[in-house]
Parts: sequence; C-alpha cells; structure tokens
Amino acid sequence: MSRDISQALARWLDDDFRQIGEIAIEPQGENFELRHYRDVGRDDLKTHTDARALATCDDAGNFRPLKSAPTLRRGWSLVLAGIGELHSALDVFYPAMLGTLLSHERGELFSILLRETLARQSGMYAVTKKITDEQADAMIGDLCKSDGGCLKTILWRIAPDRAVTSLPPEKFDPTATQPPGAARTIPLLCSEACNLLVAKAREVVKRAQA
Amino acid sequence: MVGLKNATFSKPDSALVIVGHGSTVNPDSSAPTFSHADEISRRGVFGEVHSVFWKEEPSLRQVMHLVERDEIYVVPNFISEGYFTRTVIPRELELSGAETQRAGRTIRYCEPVGSHPRMTELLLKRALEIAPGVPPHETTLFIVGHGTDLNDNSAVAAKREVQAIAERGIFGEVLNAYMEEEPLISRWDELASQPNVIVVPFFIADGLHSYQDIPVLLGIESEPTAAASQRDVFRHNPHQLRGRTLFYASSIGTEPLFADVILDQVAEFDRANGTR
Repeated sequence: MSRDISQALARWLDDDFRQIGEIAIEPQGENFELRHYRDVGRDDLKTHTDARALATCDDAGNFRPLKSAPTLRRGWSLVLAGIGELHSALDVFYPAMLGTLLSHERGELFSILLRETLARQSGMYAVTKKITDEQADAMIGDLCKSDGGCLKTILWRIAPDRAVTSLPPEKFDPTATQPPGAARTIPLLCSEACNLLVAKAREVVKRAQA
Repeated sequence: MVGLKNATFSKPDSALVIVGHGSTVNPDSSAPTFSHADEISRRGVFGEVHSVFWKEEPSLRQVMHLVERDEIYVVPNFISEGYFTRTVIPRELELSGAETQRAGRTIRYCEPVGSHPRMTELLLKRALEIAPGVPPHETTLFIVGHGTDLNDNSAVAAKREVQAIAERGIFGEVLNAYMEEEPLISRWDELASQPNVIVVPFFIADGLHSYQDIPVLLGIESEPTAAASQRDVFRHNPHQLRGRTLFYASSIGTEPLFADVILDQVAEFDRANGTR
C-alpha cells in the first residue's frame, strides 16, 4: 500500500487540524467525536452512528448531491473508534477529500483547466464546449461560492490565460479556511470542475441558444 | 430460493471500486451501489471497497486519490454494456484497456454486473418471490427495460434474459417491454395472455424510472409519486387492475445477491486475463 491516508490524517490531527468542511473533530482518547462546527459547545446533541444517514440530506430533507455544500445537518454527534473509522466517516461526509489532500502534499494532484474538462465531454454534455469564458466565470461565481454553494478550494483555471475572477482570492488559497473564520481546517481541494458544474454549463449554453 | 454458487477469494492487497450512475435529484439511484459495497466490505474480501459515481461524489475522477492500494478492480454497477461502460467510465478513469498501468498502479476493468450469466437466476428468483402461491404457468412475466437510449444495449440484455427465462419453461409467458419503445409496458394488459402478471424492472436502482415512471405506465399510480426515499409507505402487491392480478417488483439491482455478482465479475476478470 503506497498511500496510507489514515496515517496522513493522524499527522494532520497531530498538527492541530480540528475541522474539515463544516465538521469539528475532537479527539477523545483513542476515539474521535464529530459534530457540526456551529454545534461546538452544545450539550443537547443527538448521538448518531451512521455517517451516511447524516450526510445524505440537509435539515429540510433535501438531497445533497454535492457533499461539500455548506448544508450539513445540525444537532448531531458521532463518535468513531480510532483513526480508521474516522477516515471512513470523513470519506462519507467529504468523499475523497483526505486522499486528494495527500496527493496534493505528495505533488500528485494536477489541476485540470475547465476547458479540458469540457473538451472531453460527450453525449448530452458535448454542447458545454460552447460556453464562453464570461458565461463560465459568472456560472462559477454563482455555483462554487463558499457562501451557499461549495466549500472547496478551487485549484483550476478556466483556460491557461483566463483565471476565475468572480470569486475572492481566498477561494483559491488552500491555506485559507473554508468556511471563513473556522478553526484550523483540513482543506477541501477541487482540482477539476465537478459534474454538477458541467451539468450547469449545459443549462447555460442551452439557455443562451434558446 | 434459487441456488447460487459464491465466488470465494481474498484480495487484502487490492481495492474494489464499484461504479454507479448516481443522481443529483435523489439518493435512491446510488443506494443499492452503497449497499452492495457495504456488504462486500463486511465480508473482508478486499483491502478496501469504494463506491464512485458519474453524477455523485466521490466521482470517477477521484478514484486515484480515494484509493490507497496499488491494485484496483473496477466493476460497473450497470445493467448493460453501452455508452457508460464503453465511453464514459474508460474516459473518466483514463483506462487504456482491460488492464491499465499508471503511476505504479494497476487498474483492472471488469464487465458490468448486468452482463453476468447469474442475472437470469436473479430475475427468476425475484419474480417467484414477489408472487408467492401464484401458479407460474398461469402468469405472464415482463422484464422491463428503458429502451431508446443511444448506444445502450440494455434492450439487447433484457431480450437475452427473457429468452433465457422462457427456455426454463416455468412461466406461462415471458415478455420484453420498454418504457419508451415498442412493445410499450403501458400496454401490458394487451400484451399479456395470462390472468396473473409479474413485472420486474431490469434497472439498477429504484430511481426515477422504476419507482416513479413505470407505476404510472402500469396504471398503479395516476401520476408520479415522490421518490422512494421520500415515501413512508411502500406499495403493496398485488394490484387488481385491468381485469388482471398485477405484481410489481423492485428493480433487480436492489437484490442483495448483486454483491455476489460484483465479486463474480472480479473472479471472471482474473480467469479471463490470467491475473489473480
């Protein structure tokens, strides 16, 4: 096994990282307790045992296809026995994000231009190639914004000579905390536009064509 | 209960990645994939087990970061060979063939679950379970596929299964039907000659098509209901409708034995490619 993500997670915790996305991590001996970071200090939380049940829908019962959206349920706590269970649970709350950070540390994470992502689309998404840089910039500013959109840190550009200008500089800085003002936070790194953004690009192009 | 032989092997140094379609609308599409992954994980066959998706997270593009081990078996949780298994998954995973070597890692791309010969047994099992005490020789069994999808062989796969089940001679009649092409499932009462009718959706999940669309086409519902995950009450069989006794099953992909089919596709990869 050339990539020990649990070991990397233990190292980040030793370095006092105590939050990932909206989740506060509190070591308790060999165990770890997770809760929404805005529920820190509360003593009326309901104990849960199933990370997936907590991550699937928001407080209003709406499905969360994008797990890094700032819509995590409140009012629960989850105790995990050991670093392996913590790793598995965090992969449910923020899929692949620990491994992505490890790849980043090891120089194995390569960011992909939005133009490259769109260029390889086929079928119903082939039309996304037609989005203009200006349309893409506005769409990203709306869909990816940390306030209500997505908590990931964007590592990619629209094109080699075109950065995203519709979001503040900290949105592109892995050392900045997302959400803003949180404790020392394990960053959620976005090395490539997700399929939600590609699907939105299709809507933008179709609307412009109509 | 139809007897099924389970694959027995142990791959502590390998990872299993199950690929599902997923949905941005409801959690029902990915639920069976997660459930099969949990079951395989419980059995401890692989060093690690993951589910990845086209429309949900983790995505196909994140596999190389998500997985710890260097040997990765990828099994598409799809009903048929087609656009997703031949175009989308290989492209997103940057595969170069059945076996891909990249950055010191080996990715082994297995056949989709729906192509497995066991599918016939599972469809038969589901059909017999859904209508206990109903004489099969007085029953029409429909295997329902989507139909019309570009580059999709789901109709071919459904026809293959219908033929295989019909050859067993258990049911009075075994027929194909589709949502969007002839023979249309909405005409089930015209197509069926028997007093009892069993409908099994040849789909991976109880998502939009099988839970919301087909019940309307059958006449069980007058309009699409909320998603399966949003309903407290499950439908009860049988339905007395259009002069027949109708039984509507869950999608075949919700069958727990799909976990065994996924393992079988890994074993089959090793057998066909001389790997282990």
